[in-house]
Amino acid sequence: MSRIVIWVSLAVAILWSLTTADIGLGKLPGAGVRLADFLGRMLPPDLSIWPEVLNGLAETLRIAILGTLFSVILSSGLAVLASENLMPPAIWRPVRAVLAVIRAIPLILVAMLMVGAVGLGPLPGILAVTFHATGMLAKFYAEAIDNVASAPVAALESAGANTVQRLRWAIWPQMAPVVLRDTVFRFELNLRESLILGIVGAGGIGLYIQTYVRSFQYEKAATVTLAIIVLVLLSELINGALRKRFS
Amino acid sequence: MSATVALSNISHQFDGIAALQDVSLTVKPGEIVVLLGASGAGKSTLLSLLDGRLDEWQGQAEVLGSKLSEGTAPTRQKRTEVGFIFQEFALVDRLSVYQNVMNGRLGHMRVWQSLWGRFDERDHMAVSAALRDTGLADLARRRTDQISGGQRQRVAIARCLAQEPKLILADEPVSNLDPAHAEKILALITGQARKRGIGVIFSSHQPELSQRFADRIVGLRQGEILFDSPAGQITQDHIKQLYYGDTPGGGLRVVS
Ligand SMILES: Nc1ncnc2c1ncn2[C@@H]1O[C@H](COP(=O)(O)OP(=O)(O)O)[C@@H](O)[C@H]1O
Ligand SMILES: [Mg+2]
Repeated sequence: MSRIVIWVSLAVAILWSLTTADIGLGKLPGAGVRLADFLGRMLPPDLSIWPEVLNGLAETLRIAILGTLFSVILSSGLAVLASENLMPPAIWRPVRAVLAVIRAIPLILVAMLMVGAVGLGPLPGILAVTFHATGMLAKFYAEAIDNVASAPVAALESAGANTVQRLRWAIWPQMAPVVLRDTVFRFELNLRESLILGIVGAGGIGLYIQTYVRSFQYEKAATVTLAIIVLVLLSELINGALRKRFS
Repeated sequence: MSATVALSNISHQFDGIAALQDVSLTVKPGEIVVLLGASGAGKSTLLSLLDGRLDEWQGQAEVLGSKLSEGTAPTRQKRTEVGFIFQEFALVDRLSVYQNVMNGRLGHMRVWQSLWGRFDERDHMAVSAALRDTGLADLARRRTDQISGGQRQRVAIARCLAQEPKLILADEPVSNLDPAHAEKILALITGQARKRGIGVIFSSHQPELSQRFADRIVGLRQGEILFDSPAGQITQDHIKQLYYGDTPGGGLRVVS
């Protein structure tokens, strides 16, 4: 029964998308040629702009690092409030609801608001990343707190350990790998999402993509694209290696 | 020398259901006592009372010369004096065997120093001795979630020994083990206790094993002490009564 409902809904959704959206399928035939032309004009990449590209990337990296750092600090406090084990429902429920709302707001939208609030440059980018990332990180940290097994904590209490010692030697060892893994994961997301912040004036490499494409300087846009690909692949490599250590 | 444990008329209820009823018990220093009884008899409840982990009860309880009071956990020092071997071991999986055993020393340490992981020579020596006594010296550096169940149990015992308690409590230390293994573990715990001249109180539902390792057996049924005798004087009748005994109303009660 419920399976039929699922299949029918799926079919309806697909048909609705095909029929009602003005997809403009008629434009498809010429697309290949135009795309080839576009790619052709990107070659060869204009490598002479590498100092600017490097600067832009460095700024994006800084936004991601600082945004992650501030988000870690905020999330550490909020996670305690969002913990089902540490707080009564009257506190953790509303806190988690607020975190869910924060997660639902796209980063680019937050960035636009922040640019409006503090002006152009990396600062609105950092603030936006901090805000946006905290919605996820605080929730993850809270779950890490709630997944700590209580038996070893009770065992240490029985052996004479006080609260701080139990935190250090029973609670933190259980949480640490999860917290570190989640943080590294969030940093990677922050880095990827920060790449486009420049488009709305919130700092970083995004500004150059915008500028070069708008002014038809495709050889330069190509260089920026290559640099971004290298950066993302690098961060993936590093994170993969780190994550293996946190098991 | 005063008694290691002195309980008089202890009762405890969980949600109105009696878990301990009018239990009185004295344990002498160095004595090895088994709490024998079926599942649900109240053994774990009694042990957690002695470990200072029960919040409220009726009656008087004294452990190692100090009175337990309702609603207040024993001081750090008092908790350090009583060692507890947990049924499910209660180890911190991601720490090394060595650090898990070192965790048994936390009650002896200055707090700030223990947070940095800077332990005194005295603590390292106690841990090494406990690892040697439990045959774990070669596993010291292994992560605790990467050793076998039997080895984990010995880590739990080593942690308790490193604590240098004046009394060891153990909740069903061998209930999940095959007979040969069970004997080894009980021999280890009681042997180490005798070597250190301290008492052991452990719970069990296995009469034969208990008789072999205990000085004294306390039979618990439905929260009440049914008998309390030297291990050598336990008879088949005792055992029958404990597991299939007459209920107060008369007639045979079969415990499934
Ligand atoms: N946390 C608890 N909440 C409610 N009832 C409990 C709890 N712990 C034990 N009991 C009840 O108390 C009685 C004694 O339990 P327990 O001391 O665990 O017995 P044993 O260790 O001999 O199996 C049982 O009837 C059990 O169901
Ligand atoms: Mg039990």
